[in-house]
Amino acid sequence: MKRAILASVSAATALTLVLAGCGGEDEPADPNAPMTITLAGWSLSSTPEFKTLADGFKATHPNVTVELKEYAPGNDYDTQMITDLAAGTAPDVYVMKNLKNFYTYQSGGQLYDVSDATAGLDSVPALASYQVDGKTYAVPYRQDSWVLFYNKDLFAKAKVTPPDGSWTWDDYTDATKRLHTGLKGAGSNATGAYQHTFQSTVQGFALAQTPNADLLSGDFGYLKPYYERSLDLQAAGAQPTFGTAKTNKLTYQAQFGKQQSAMLLMGTWYVATLLNQRKSGEADTFQWGIAPAPQFDKSTTGTSATPVTFGDPTGLGINPKISKSKVAAAKAFLQYAGGPDAAKALAGIGITPAQVTDAVTATLFGLDGVPQDDLSKFAYATHTVKPENPVSKHTAGLQNLLNETHSAILSDSKSVDAELSEAQTRAKNEILNQ
Amino acid sequence: MATLPSTRPRNRRLVSRNTVAGWSFILPNFVGFAVLTLLPVLVLFYVAFTNWNVFGAAEWTGTANFRRMWDDASFWTALRNTVYYTVFHIPLTLAASLGLALLLNRKLRGVRFFRTVAFFPYITSIVAIAVVWNQLFSPEYGPINALLGAVGVDNAPGWTTSSTWSMPAVIIVGTWRYMGYYMLLFLAGLQTIPAQLYEAAETDGATPWQRFVHVTLPGLRHTTFFVTVLLTIESFKVFDLILVMTGGGPGQSTLVLSQYIYQKSFEENQFGYASAVSIVLFAICFSITVIQFMVNKRRNS
Amino acid sequence: MTTTDLAAPAPAITVPGSGRPPSRRVASRGWRLVGYAALVLAAAGLLLPFYWMVVASLKTNSDVFTIPITWLPDPVVWRNYLDIWQRSDMTTWLGNTLLLSMVVTLLQVVTGSFAAYGFARVRFPGRNALFLAYVGTIAVPWQSYMIPQFILMSKLQLSNTLWSIVAIQAFGAFGVFLMKQFYETIPEELSESARVDGLSEFGIYRRIMLPLSRPALASLALLTFVTTWNDYLGPLIYLRSPELRTIQLGLNTFISQYNAEYALIMTGSVLSVLPVAVIFLLGQRYFIEGIATTGLKG
Repeated sequence: MKRAILASVSAATALTLVLAGCGGEDEPADPNAPMTITLAGWSLSSTPEFKTLADGFKATHPNVTVELKEYAPGNDYDTQMITDLAAGTAPDVYVMKNLKNFYTYQSGGQLYDVSDATAGLDSVPALASYQVDGKTYAVPYRQDSWVLFYNKDLFAKAKVTPPDGSWTWDDYTDATKRLHTGLKGAGSNATGAYQHTFQSTVQGFALAQTPNADLLSGDFGYLKPYYERSLDLQAAGAQPTFGTAKTNKLTYQAQFGKQQSAMLLMGTWYVATLLNQRKSGEADTFQWGIAPAPQFDKSTTGTSATPVTFGDPTGLGINPKISKSKVAAAKAFLQYAGGPDAAKALAGIGITPAQVTDAVTATLFGLDGVPQDDLSKFAYATHTVKPENPVSKHTAGLQNLLNETHSAILSDSKSVDAELSEAQTRAKNEILNQ
Repeated sequence: MATLPSTRPRNRRLVSRNTVAGWSFILPNFVGFAVLTLLPVLVLFYVAFTNWNVFGAAEWTGTANFRRMWDDASFWTALRNTVYYTVFHIPLTLAASLGLALLLNRKLRGVRFFRTVAFFPYITSIVAIAVVWNQLFSPEYGPINALLGAVGVDNAPGWTTSSTWSMPAVIIVGTWRYMGYYMLLFLAGLQTIPAQLYEAAETDGATPWQRFVHVTLPGLRHTTFFVTVLLTIESFKVFDLILVMTGGGPGQSTLVLSQYIYQKSFEENQFGYASAVSIVLFAICFSITVIQFMVNKRRNS
Repeated sequence: MTTTDLAAPAPAITVPGSGRPPSRRVASRGWRLVGYAALVLAAAGLLLPFYWMVVASLKTNSDVFTIPITWLPDPVVWRNYLDIWQRSDMTTWLGNTLLLSMVVTLLQVVTGSFAAYGFARVRFPGRNALFLAYVGTIAVPWQSYMIPQFILMSKLQLSNTLWSIVAIQAFGAFGVFLMKQFYETIPEELSESARVDGLSEFGIYRRIMLPLSRPALASLALLTFVTTWNDYLGPLIYLRSPELRTIQLGLNTFISQYNAEYALIMTGSVLSVLPVAVIFLLGQRYFIEGIATTGLKG
């Protein structure tokens, strides 16, 4: 009896495998026949960018409908996408939220070669991140960069001179402390700055700005000065400690939007969030501005230089299991999403597109509630953006390791040196040797 | 059973009749179980010896994953933390849930309400649990440390913000969360102890403690065994609670095996290696379970 | 809490009204007071996070996280309970979850208790090995074999349907294990004498085992219901379409959508707990009082 069951189970499995092998045959395509390609997105009702792209593409390609497939938000997006790709049930076009997972998808053969869809996109800076051995595997449609958001009202209250684009990290640390004292003196509970719990708030800047810093070298000495400044600000009470931010689940949206902190280092995606929250009343209405992120040294400060910051592009890739008749339409969609038309449409909803042109800056700064000063425009449009996650086999592993180091340094009494040297040992023995 | 003296053919007929009867009971569940659980688990055992990256083919690498594990300090940290959690979580939860069950297995006014209350931690959303307990544990603003300060503890622990105290904090919350669950099983077990046994013990002049030792505990033997096995497996597999409470931190202080498996597979795309770690986790749980079964069998006979 | 000081109340389960001397009545009243005090204290500790959840759901959003914690909402915002129905698909989520939980519970109880009888009371070759395989799979973390399982389910055309959740939850080893342990506490002589009376194995299961195992069946049903209700990873992996979302999945998308609106998020959490709490409150008499009335003649 038992054998019979085993036999029937394996027969059923074999049968389903055979059935799955069938189907997916492609019929010769008429380029103008109506067709539908599917696109993965998340939180569709509160993330309008996917619909913006789909509608914009439909306007120029009336025969192609881009159908949105909703996935879970946050890290769960990748979990669901990996399972769907593994089972062959993923949509035709999908998003890579950052560069951390690009290697996973590319080396796993889950990205179609889209080299011939990049015509006219040569000037998009982030495109290079998606190129492997001379072939392009994805097209970026968003490129956020990290800037300094500041509250002009709180600066005035504390009688501290607002940023002018000339700040190094020492100037920033100094200003944060003066804000703290000034605000306290003015009877306010707000802190000088808020540093969110993300590892990138320290490590992203350190990696992008420090000369010769290399994640893959396994030498993390470049992080030390950045951590020392964070610890200094924490100890001075000028910003909520890492522990407080974690245990009280502080959100950066509330910290800055509710005027709990005068400065916030964050990616440019926060512009759209802040605008929406002001409208809905979740954020207060106050004078704010954008300044370039503080710099490693004076060589990149001032509005005549180009400040260095970091940020990962968000890219679109094509699922290799797409039916052959739809490949051309999907490539056209990628080309559209990375191009200037999509850029303007995205800027219209507060999103920073892959290529920030003057037209994009004009559109974004034309939105209601965006600051109008020159420094904000400069900070938004001018910078060298380095990737947060340089693409490699070891990136995901190293970033996970450094995330642990991040929480260890910011919450523990152990010295920065000790934690960093432990991280280096582990990187060498557990990740770089694989 | 079936120990009546019988001739060989009759015995064989009995065996085959029993086999048919046994399988017909098991079959409805077994079909689903075999296809949906057993089959994927068998695949997992294969994957553990490959470098599968979830997409496409897996290359057979023999014991490479297991040799890598041997030298992987993070794996050992995760294993150590898992054992740390388990060693404290099991006895604490066992004592708390049995205590609750005894306390609530009575005819008291409002006892039904209290039973429901005891079950609340298990049904409360895990997000809310993480928020509230983290705030309660907050070293600067939390009421727990305020209380400790009031009773004269100067150097109150940093709980989830300290690598020394984050595991104790997680153990406390774990026990708090699961005791209602196991209480329920103990309550069901207590119903099977015949009231006459207590009456007889009382007539014999047994003290409450003697009645507990000689009537309640033996009567709960099967339940206790079941609870211990489940609790062991559940502790070794602890995942979501730690993920929302501390995310494994600070540093690696609360990193446990289940989380390490998730990290290696879904975040770093090393499904082969992650499967090998799962096999080790499985082997540990399974051997402890088998030992528990053997001890239980010996005690029963 | 140690078992020692809690052991004393145990005899109170004896049938009430079994005449006791008056002196013991006084002592028992003392114990009762101590018991109540312990209960109230324990209840406060157990309910604290739930209490916080309810309070947070009645606050304005900016009042949810304050340093230090405020334990009373001021002002009380009942609006959240109206808003959430408009701003989320709560009805769909609750409906899906209720349907899933009921179907899974039914299947798990029926097939689990059935199989458990086979394991507990029918002796056949390979039984113990098979049972170990059952228990063994509980020890394998699901996240490590969910991809092979997902691929299998996709081939069976079951992914992104509610059936997939039914399939992965309903045939678990948990129910089999729980019921087997329980059946083993029921004296062998009962089924032996029934066998002599000519009852078939199925008859014994149906007429003797089932009625006697009501407490275990009820707790299995309850635990399965709650586990399915609270499951997050299963629906996350298997369900994509918004109209199939369960309450946990829905709440999570809700959280990311209104990331800073904790008051509303807590309103959702309270609403997600309530149905389970009600079921527990109503259902527990089946497993606490069930046996007391039928009586177990061992």
